[in-house]
Amino acid sequence: MPRPAGHFTIWQSMKFSLAVYGAPHASQSAATALRFARALLAAGHELYRVFFYCDGVHNGSALSAPPQDEADIAEGWQALQRAHKLDLVVCIAAAQRRGVLNSSEANRLEKPAANLAEGFELAGLGQLADAAVNSDRLITFGQ
Amino acid sequence: MANRTLAICRQAPYGSALAREGLEAVLAAAAMDQSPELLFVNDGVFQLLDGQEPAAIEQKSLQRNLQALPMFGVETLHVCKLSLSQRGIDPAQLQITGAEIVLVVDVGKFIAGFDIALNF
Repeated sequence: MPRPAGHFTIWQSMKFSLAVYGAPHASQSAATALRFARALLAAGHELYRVFFYCDGVHNGSALSAPPQDEADIAEGWQALQRAHKLDLVVCIAAAQRRGVLNSSEANRLEKPAANLAEGFELAGLGQLADAAVNSDRLITFGQ
Repeated sequence: MANRTLAICRQAPYGSALAREGLEAVLAAAAMDQSPELLFVNDGVFQLLDGQEPAAIEQKSLQRNLQALPMFGVETLHVCKLSLSQRGIDPAQLQITGAEIVLVVDVGKFIAGFDIALNF
């Protein structure tokens, strides 16, 4: 049975994509996106893609090391990725600006280190446009 | 694609990276033949002001991104009328070469006419 949720209607099984613009541990954005992802998967929906853009690219850094009594958001995404084979895409242009690189990009740009976490991949903005048309709902988590 | 896509631009041009990166995402979508419509609302209306000189704060101008839109089939820029009047902006101060500016009065109804909204 479809049920209303604010302005939206939630159908029994829908395909979601998330756009995340917030860095972890900087605003509520990334933490809320992660909790939303867990909730929709638990409710039996499909998560087509999570697209990390703007400061959201920092979600994909393997070098974040929050204190032990705080939620580790990057590890949270990775655990969800392993459990559900999620497509976690970090925008390559936004990531280059902010210093999130995989090893081939680090080599190409002659930078001393790579830090893209396992489970994430770098790709272009076309993946956001693709997610928008191929999902029933695209939910944006702002800065 | 049968889906109608709207990109909503809400940020002032140089205060955060989202204004620039939003337009980059719009251009990427347009290059994939998705041709989103654009709505400028809240502080996003500042992006369209004529005579910006961002070099003084070591920023690149957004005008080049905006002027590229018509080349990708985005020829109409929708602008929230209320956002303009709240900020004391006369529509005549908005100028993007090659694009037509259309004022929107009922923003909620306008947004509801689209299948997909990209928020920036």
